[in-house]
Amino acid sequence: MPDRPDALELLEAVRGFLETEVAKGATDPRLRFRALVAANALSIAGRELVLDETSPSAEARILRELLREAPSGAPPAEEALALSWELCRRIRAGTSPSETAGAVRRIVEGKLAAASPRYLQKKR
Amino acid sequence: MAPVSEELRKSLEARLPALLGGPVQIAKLSLLAGGASMEAWAVELRAPSGPLSLVLRRAAGGRIYQDALSLEHEHALVAEAHRSGVKAPRPYGFLPDLSGHDAFLMDRLHGETVGRRIVRLPELAKARAALPVQMAEELARIHALDPARLPFLPGTGAASPARRAIDGLVAQLDSVGEPHPAIELGIAWLRENLRDTGPAVVVHGDFRIGNLMVAPDGLAGVLDWEFARIGDVLEDVAWPLVKAWRFGVDHLRLGGISDERAMIARYAEITGRKIEPADLHAYELLGNVRWAVGSLQQAQRHLRGDEKSVELAILGRLACEVEHEILHMLEEPASPASPVAERRSAQHRETR
Repeated sequence: MPDRPDALELLEAVRGFLETEVAKGATDPRLRFRALVAANALSIAGRELVLDETSPSAEARILRELLREAPSGAPPAEEALALSWELCRRIRAGTSPSETAGAVRRIVEGKLAAASPRYLQKKR
Repeated sequence: MAPVSEELRKSLEARLPALLGGPVQIAKLSLLAGGASMEAWAVELRAPSGPLSLVLRRAAGGRIYQDALSLEHEHALVAEAHRSGVKAPRPYGFLPDLSGHDAFLMDRLHGETVGRRIVRLPELAKARAALPVQMAEELARIHALDPARLPFLPGTGAASPARRAIDGLVAQLDSVGEPHPAIELGIAWLRENLRDTGPAVVVHGDFRIGNLMVAPDGLAGVLDWEFARIGDVLEDVAWPLVKAWRFGVDHLRLGGISDERAMIARYAEITGRKIEPADLHAYELLGNVRWAVGSLQQAQRHLRGDEKSVELAILGRLACEVEHEILHMLEEPASPASPVAERRSAQHRETR
């Protein structure tokens, strides 16, 4: 058990520093922009730490059901990667299941939950 | 002044008299933008003809992009475009091995290039109103360039630009080495639906808000020619519609500044090329696949150490926004206005 601040709290501390001190104080617009990009990168890392408990196993389950595969027993991230490669192979061969688009949409929405949650909320 | 720019200044002072026809005094030399593969320098100088405000575009030694033109070819293309009346910066000459790296000089244009400012700044409202028609006129001029004078362009002699575009993207995706089912679905759809819409032409390859110099009264110049190739006109016409180039103003499909109707109508009026909605949809989807793969490749530049940068790194995680747009476009019904789309989707159903 690490002492506090833990990893998430450290990320949050550095994100705040980049946003309030570096970006706000920057006179060079390029530096300001890069500081905001860096702060966003830390936000993604923070959300990934929170979601990491669940998201690889959710992706693996979606792919297993789509491809009608039994659980491989590998760690969820490894299993999701292997099944994702298999799905890509089948899409290229023209033999992917008819429910593929819906399953892929759920997987992409899962990636957006960590990378860009606001993108999902925006109205078209 | 930093030692690098001092050395560059000496090299320039030695080389410029031959280029500009007499003695040259450099008043100012400053770095505008620098990456691992390319630098841009602002150069203020006094030439025999008078004062000049120029940009020096120079290789930086790092590995360049796979599909980019060499600086020598980019200079030749910009020169040909400028000669033909395209609003490209006036080039002032190619400088091979300028203290170790190839470079070329061109006019420094003034205005705004940053997309998120172009779509928002109140003082550019007039420019936003003028841009759709101006963009169409500029594209028509670019597409009228004579390919025979630019034999170095990639895609020269290809039997089908549409097939070449798809095959190129598949090769680039394979080079990334990650599974991306959403991109595969986009590619599978394109293989069925993307067609060559007419004779192949010179395409700019990166014509969008962000690569255009915008002044208060509109388009001041077309920049960033390194991805030019021989291709289908729709590659250029649909690229500025791609959602990533709307800079957050998503409901204005043309680059966050306007809907696309005025641009399409003006382009058709000048060129006599009617653009089918189904083809525009297909090429916009191609653009999204191109940018999804491009984002992954940019992240690879960071991950492989070609160019360490947080801006490149984060694109690897934002590629899923583009994947989401690909899936959204795949679900959109084909435009009812287009018999081509209906015929094609009927064929598609039969072959399944």
